[in-house]
Amino acid sequence: MDSLPILSMITYAPLVGAAILFFASRADAEMSRRIALAFATISFLLSLAMLIAFDVNEPGMQFTEHIEWLPGVGVNYDFGVDGVSALLVVLTTLLSLIGVIASGSITHRRREYYITLLLLETGMIGVFFALDLFLFYIFWELMLVPMALLIGVWGSANRVYAAVKFFIYTLAASLLMLVGIVAVYWENINQGNDPTLNILDLAAVQYSDDFQFWVFLAFFIAFAVKVPMWPFHTWLPDAHVEAPTVGSVILAGVLLKMGGYGMIRFNLSLTPDAAEDLAPYIIALSVIGIIYGALVALVQPDMKKLVAYSSVSHMGFVTLGIFAFNMQGFYGAMLVMLSHGFVTGGLFLCVGVLYDRAHTRLISAFGGVVSRMPVYAALFGVLMLASLGLPGLSGFVGEFLAIVGAFTEHRWAGAIGMAVVILSAWYMMWLFQRVVLGRAAGEPPDPLDGALQSGSVPAVAGGQGVADHGDEWPVDEHGVPQWPDVTRLELIAIVPLVLLSIMLGVWPGPFMDVMRTTLESILVPFGSQGV
Amino acid sequence: MLPGIEKINPDLSLLTPQLIVLGLSLLLLLIDAVVPRWRGAVMAYLTLIGYAAALVATFFMFDMNESTFYGMIRADDFSAFVNVIVLVAGILSVLVSINYMTSRAEPGSMPVPEYYALISFSILGAMIVGAAGDLVIVFLGIEMSSLAVYALTGFARHRITSLEGALKYFLLGLFASAILLYGMAWTYGATGTTNLSEIAAELANYDTSGNIEASLLLAVLLLIVGLGFKVAAVPFHMWTPDAYQGAPTPVSAYMSVIPKAAGFAAMVRLLVQALEPLADEWTIIIAILAVVTMFFGNIVAIAQTDIKRMLAYSSIGHTGYMLAAVAAYGASASIDDDLSVTSLLFYLLAYAFMNIGAFAIVTWLQDRGRGVDLSDFRGLASQSPVAALMMTVFLLSLTGLPPLVGFYAKYYVILATVDAGMIWLAVAIVLASAASAFYYLRVIATMYFAEAEQPEPVGSTPWLGAGLLAMVAGTILVGIFSGRVFDLAQGWVDALTIIPG
Repeated sequence: MDSLPILSMITYAPLVGAAILFFASRADAEMSRRIALAFATISFLLSLAMLIAFDVNEPGMQFTEHIEWLPGVGVNYDFGVDGVSALLVVLTTLLSLIGVIASGSITHRRREYYITLLLLETGMIGVFFALDLFLFYIFWELMLVPMALLIGVWGSANRVYAAVKFFIYTLAASLLMLVGIVAVYWENINQGNDPTLNILDLAAVQYSDDFQFWVFLAFFIAFAVKVPMWPFHTWLPDAHVEAPTVGSVILAGVLLKMGGYGMIRFNLSLTPDAAEDLAPYIIALSVIGIIYGALVALVQPDMKKLVAYSSVSHMGFVTLGIFAFNMQGFYGAMLVMLSHGFVTGGLFLCVGVLYDRAHTRLISAFGGVVSRMPVYAALFGVLMLASLGLPGLSGFVGEFLAIVGAFTEHRWAGAIGMAVVILSAWYMMWLFQRVVLGRAAGEPPDPLDGALQSGSVPAVAGGQGVADHGDEWPVDEHGVPQWPDVTRLELIAIVPLVLLSIMLGVWPGPFMDVMRTTLESILVPFGSQGV
Repeated sequence: MLPGIEKINPDLSLLTPQLIVLGLSLLLLLIDAVVPRWRGAVMAYLTLIGYAAALVATFFMFDMNESTFYGMIRADDFSAFVNVIVLVAGILSVLVSINYMTSRAEPGSMPVPEYYALISFSILGAMIVGAAGDLVIVFLGIEMSSLAVYALTGFARHRITSLEGALKYFLLGLFASAILLYGMAWTYGATGTTNLSEIAAELANYDTSGNIEASLLLAVLLLIVGLGFKVAAVPFHMWTPDAYQGAPTPVSAYMSVIPKAAGFAAMVRLLVQALEPLADEWTIIIAILAVVTMFFGNIVAIAQTDIKRMLAYSSIGHTGYMLAAVAAYGASASIDDDLSVTSLLFYLLAYAFMNIGAFAIVTWLQDRGRGVDLSDFRGLASQSPVAALMMTVFLLSLTGLPPLVGFYAKYYVILATVDAGMIWLAVAIVLASAASAFYYLRVIATMYFAEAEQPEPVGSTPWLGAGLLAMVAGTILVGIFSGRVFDLAQGWVDALTIIPG
C-alpha cells in the first residue's frame, strides 16, 4: 500500500514537536505549551482519522509500512495496526493531549517538561504500532527515560527514589525480554527460515514446548512488571505517588496497558502452548493481585496511593480475562484496559485538582469538598462509580466480561473476582465519603485521626514542580479555605474522560466492533468459541 | 617455507594508513625541534589532518586480502576495520585534548608537542596490531601502543596521582608484556613458526580429539593472561582504576579505547586466527573471564564517587561484554554467519563514541575549573542544559538503551552469544547491564534532580565542543544506520579464515 504513512505520522508528530521545542530555546512557558498542544492535537486527530478509516472486518494488520533497515540481522521497520492496538493508540493520543492540557500547574522548567511529555508520547505510540520485535524493543525502552524524568524532575518529595526504582525495575525486566527476542530470532533461523524479527512471521513458526516455556517467561516477566501483576507491582505505588499529576495519568492510562497489550500480541501469538500450560498459574496470580490491590487500597491514607493500588486490582482483571482464552475474557481484558485508562486517568486528574488547591493528598486533610466545589464533586462521583463497576458505567462492562470469561474456564477464579468487586465499592465509596462528603465546611478534620492529633497532618508535600501558593485562598469564618470549583481547563481535561466512561458503559458496541475480528483470529490457536 | 617468499619487494601500498600516521608522528617530533613557535595549536591541526588522511586511505583498504613483508603484515577487512576504530577514536581524543592542554585544569604546564607525537605513535601501534600477520608484529604493535600510553598517563607531571598511576600502569604493563611474550614463545615452540596462518595450519594437523598438549594449553593460558592485562579483564585489571583516575582526563578517554582496541585486535589475531583449532579450549576460558569481568566492573563501579574512577570500572564492565563477543566465536553452523568478531568490532566502534564522549564531558567541566567528583555534577542540567543532555546521551548509551549506539552494540553481542548456544552468557550480559544502570543513572539523577551548588561553569572550548557534537551525533546515528557498518565489520570472516599462500 503506497499511501500516506499515517502510522508514522501519528508516531512522529510529537517527536517533531519535541524537536522544535528543543531548538526553540527562547520559547517562553506559554509558547512551549502551545507548541506541545498543537503537536499533541495533530497526533490525536490523525489517530482519530486512522480509527475512522480502520476496516473492522479485517483481522490482520492495516496501514502497514515496511522499510528495510538492517538486513544483516533481519531487522525491518514494520508498522501496522489491528483491532487490538487501534483503540489503545487513540487512548494514548487522547491521554497525552489531556496531559498537555492538564499541565497548567507545572511551574518550573516548562519547556523541558513539554519536550519530555512529547517524547514519551512518541515512545508509547510506537510500542503499539511496531511489528518488528527489534523496533518494538526500541520504543519500549524509549518510554523509560522520559517517564523516569517526569517522575524525577517534576515529582514530589521522594521523587528521585521513585524515579530510579521505576527505571531499574522496568529496565531489568525488559532486558530479559531482549534475550527472549534474540532466542526467537535464532530459533526461527535454525528451523530453516529467513532471518526476521517480524512478529507475524515469527508467530507462524511452531516452537518446541521447552523453548516456548522459557521464551514465554522472558516476555511475560517484562510485561507483568508493566501491568503490574502481583508480585511485580512494588514500583507502582512509589512511582504514582511521586509522579506529577499528568505523569500518573499517563502511567496509569497508557503504560500499564502495554503489559496487557504485550501479552496479547507476543505471549499468545509466539508461545501459545506455553501460554495455555501456564494459564492456571497466571490466573492465580491475577486473583491474588485483584484481592491484594483492593485490600491494600482500603487502608491507604493518601489518595494517590489508593488509586494506585486500585490499579493493581483492576489490572488483575486484564490478565484474568486474557488467560481465560475465550471471547468474553478477551473482550473483558480489552475493555477493562480502555475503561481503566479513562477512569483512572480521570481519577488522578481529580486528585490533582485537589492537590493543586491544598498541596496535600492526604485523605484526612479533606472533607465536605462538595459544598465548595459541586461540579468537581459530580465529576469525581461519576468516575468513582465507574471505577467501582456500577452497571451503566465503563468499569462494569469490562470486569463483568472478564469475570464471565474466567468463570467458564476457572470457576473459582471467576467467583473470587466477583466477590472482590465489593471491596472496590468499599474503598472507592469510602474515599468519596471522606473527601467529598463527610464533615461540613468549618468542622475541623476528623478528630479521631491519630496522625492529626500528633500534629503531622497536613504535611504539605513540597514538590518542586508545584508552586507553594501558601495562603492564597481566602478563608471563611471557620478558617476553611474557599477553594474555587474546577477551572475551565480542568473541566476540558476531565469531562471527555467522564463522557467516554459513560459511553463505554452504556454503548460498548462500537468499541467491541473494532476489536472483534482481530480477537477472534488471536483465539484460533486456542480453539475456543466466540460470544 | 614462508608464504609470499616470491615477493622480494614489500608492497608498501598495503601499509598506506600506517605510513601516513608514521610520517605524521615523525613530522611532529621534527616540528618540535625545528619550528618551536608551531608548538600547540598547529600541531593539533596537523594531527587531525593526518588522522583524517589515514582514515580516508583506510576506506580504500576494504575488500582486500593480501599480505606483504613475507606474510608479516596483512591488509584485509579486519585490519581496515581496526584502523577505522583506532583513527576515529584518535580524532575524537585529539579534539578532546586541544583545549585541555592549555587550560588551567592541571597544575603546571604539560609538554604539548610530545603529547601529540606520543598519541600518534600509540595509534600507529594499535594499527600495526590490526595488520599483524605474525606473532612478532603483534607484540611489536602492542608494545608500541602501550609504551606511549605509559608516558601519557604521567603527563600531568606536577600532580602526584598522575605519576602514581603511570608507574603502576608501567610496571604491571611490563609484567603483562613479559607473560604475553612467554606465551608467544611457547606457541612458537609447539608449532615451529611465528606466522599466524601457519600456526593455524600446523595446529589443524594435530589430532585435537584427545587431550591437547600441555605446552599448547600453557601457551593459550599465558596469551590470555597477557592480553587480559592489556584489555583490563578481571582479575588482571588492578592498574586500571589508578591509571584512569591519575591520568589527565583526555588521556583517560584515549586509553579507555585505543589500547583496549589494540588488545582485542591482538586477541582476535592470536586466538581466532592462529589458535582457531583450539577454539573449544579458549572460548570457555574467555567466557568465564567475561562474566567475572562484567559483574566485577559494574558492581564495583556502583561504589565510586570519583567520576573518572567510576568510568574506569565501567570500562572494565564493557571489557566483559567485549570478551563475551570473543567467547561467542566458533559455534555457528557456518563461519559466514559467525557474528562474534563482527559484534566485537562494532562494540569497539560504538564504545569509542560513547565512552570518549563521557570523558569529554568530564574534561569540559575541568576546563571550567570544576573537579571530577560526582558532586561536581550537581544541578548541571539547570546550569548547562546542553552539556547535561549530552552526558545523558552518553551514559544512557553506555547503559545500552535504545535507540543509542550502545544498545545496538550490546544487541549484536547478545545475538552472537545466543547463536553460540551460550544463553547463560547473554543473561549475564543483561543482568550486568541492569546493574550498570545504577551508577550511570546516579550521574544523570545528580545532574537533573539535585540543586546546583557551584557557580555556573563558564568558558570557551570550541574544539571540545566540535568533538562533543561529533560524538553525540555518532552515538545517536551510528546505531540507527548500523547496517552498512555491520557489513563492513562482517568482512573479518574472509580476512581471518582464509589461509594465504
